[in-house]
Amino acid sequence: MPRETSSTASNSPVAGSGPASGDATTTRAGRGWLWSLLGGLVILGGIAAIPTLGSDTLTSNWTIITMYIVLAQSWNFIGGFTGYSAFGNVTFFGIGAYAVAVSFLSNPKVISPYDPQRPQQFFIGLLAGVVISAIFAFLIGLPTLRLKGHYFAIATLGTSVAVEEIVTQRDVAGSGGLASPPFPPLSLHIAFYYGFVALALVCLLLTTWLARSKFGYALVAIRENEQAAQTLGIATTWYKVGAYVLSAIPTAIAGGIYAYYSSGFEPATVFTSSISVTMVLVTFLGGSGTVLGPIIGAIIFEYASQQFALSSGQATSVFGYHFGSDTLLGVAIIIVAIALPQGLVRVVQEFTRRPVAGGAGASGNSRANQFVEGVRRVRKFIAANGI
Amino acid sequence: MSANLSPPTASETILELQHVTKRYGGLPAVDDVSFAVQRGEVLGVIGPNGAGKSTMVSLIGGSAAPTSGKVLFQGQAINTLPPHRRAHLGIGRTFQLTQPFTGLDIRENVMVGAFFGRRGLSRSQALHVADEVLARVGLAHKATLKGDQLTVADRKRLEVARALAMDPRILLLDEVMAGLTPAEVTDAIELIRSINRDGVTVLVVEHIVRAIASVSDRVLVLHHGRKIAEDTPDTVLSDPKVIEAYLGERYAKQKQAEKDPAQPASEWMEGLA
Repeated sequence: MPRETSSTASNSPVAGSGPASGDATTTRAGRGWLWSLLGGLVILGGIAAIPTLGSDTLTSNWTIITMYIVLAQSWNFIGGFTGYSAFGNVTFFGIGAYAVAVSFLSNPKVISPYDPQRPQQFFIGLLAGVVISAIFAFLIGLPTLRLKGHYFAIATLGTSVAVEEIVTQRDVAGSGGLASPPFPPLSLHIAFYYGFVALALVCLLLTTWLARSKFGYALVAIRENEQAAQTLGIATTWYKVGAYVLSAIPTAIAGGIYAYYSSGFEPATVFTSSISVTMVLVTFLGGSGTVLGPIIGAIIFEYASQQFALSSGQATSVFGYHFGSDTLLGVAIIIVAIALPQGLVRVVQEFTRRPVAGGAGASGNSRANQFVEGVRRVRKFIAANGI
Repeated sequence: MSANLSPPTASETILELQHVTKRYGGLPAVDDVSFAVQRGEVLGVIGPNGAGKSTMVSLIGGSAAPTSGKVLFQGQAINTLPPHRRAHLGIGRTFQLTQPFTGLDIRENVMVGAFFGRRGLSRSQALHVADEVLARVGLAHKATLKGDQLTVADRKRLEVARALAMDPRILLLDEVMAGLTPAEVTDAIELIRSINRDGVTVLVVEHIVRAIASVSDRVLVLHHGRKIAEDTPDTVLSDPKVIEAYLGERYAKQKQAEKDPAQPASEWMEGLA
């Protein structure tokens, strides 16, 4: 949620008079949501244009980046808006992936890779993944969402480990969960790319809607003060479970697309907790609970991560230690937790925020002064929330 | 003393507690308390620290469930209803320790009350209600501040405003005057009276005896979780049992010996607040 101070509401100090302007629609940043939506559309538009550059490496890199955008966006529903730090959302990703794999494997009639029934199997798997994930999120969420803070985080972390273990032990989709379904080679490889972009777009629209809807207000109220939320008539349990299910669905779809994209995977890859941690990290990096935060955070982190992996692939070792992208993950977690717990988007909002009218109007009108003021606000903001 | 409107002639029970007990571990915080609130009245609840006042508010509001006994609202047992269902029935409450939505601005804080406490309001309608309520409690000029930027008095106002935005039938005010300056207390009393004039039944839990005495039609006294008195403010405040609860046995006996009915009990009790 973008939050600038709305200027219209501050003009009605006289008790007894109604709203000053009669325009009761401005709140929470006024038109801020519109700018966020536009910004998101521009970014996603840019991403959609990348394959036209014709570089396969670039396209495959951005496929993964876009996937992480979707994962962060969907984590944002439960973690950002509702304030429940789910550390096991990779569970839904894995369920989505295995649902697609099992769907391809389960139809023995489909043997030939060029069987026209193949695409159908994919969508059946996707749908199954969505349904199973939603039900799973509902069943898991009902008891675990009673837990607060760390306890909820631990419980959700536990579910992903448990599901991974079940998939491995029950030989789902292959011995030890090793899945290499007979995916038909997709002549249009770019389909995965646009699958993720479309999913990110849907999530963007969903987030923008959430930032202004009744449902979204309920989630934010729960995040800000659950006890007060209940007392004011919010059915907190159902809203929380709703947010959890909502975050599970796009994650499962992303998992399903990833399954096809990867063409073969094992439980350790699609249930790894580092995917869960990345969802959390990039959302916080960008700004949790904001429209643009997850998108920006995912792009910055995943891009940096890929560059890092690339250079470390060429044997960059410091003090004899070979740095991989996991190192970057660790360092990024520390930096975000210490310096940027509110995320980049909020820092930028703080920078561009117009000072409250009548406040310390020491700054002149010149751009330089505004810049200095902005920097000062940002430093205060970081000092107040981080170190 | 109670200058406000007396309860409607055909008095009708809106809220009733029947032998309600709440134990935390073995210790009863509220012990076999029964009373009824009439529609349209202001019922004051006083008692020393730890008397069980806030627990009682929680039992009515729904954030705690009674160990035994019944809570009836408009004749319906609400013991097992979660807080949000009680809110929809028309029970609004404030918290002794104020609970603002810190990240939302004041207007949105109040808007949440209208949005979820009432049925079928659109976003802009809810905002409209919020603006009206803010003007009424005197917070309109602070509408754009964040929930954690308010003074103690304004935080208490915000608590009341949020509950009011729900359009409650009964309002439970848990120590909304604690920590306020005398001038602010006067404002608060005026606000409670005006809310009551609009037909809202009010249950005021308070430490400040003077405030309670001036605003309540009837006063109920809790001590160690038990009800020790329930009557008009004057009668209750000159009750030896009540004086004893507040000041100890010796003082009560001394007081009894003096037999000075001319001095209203609220005056000496004020020193405690």
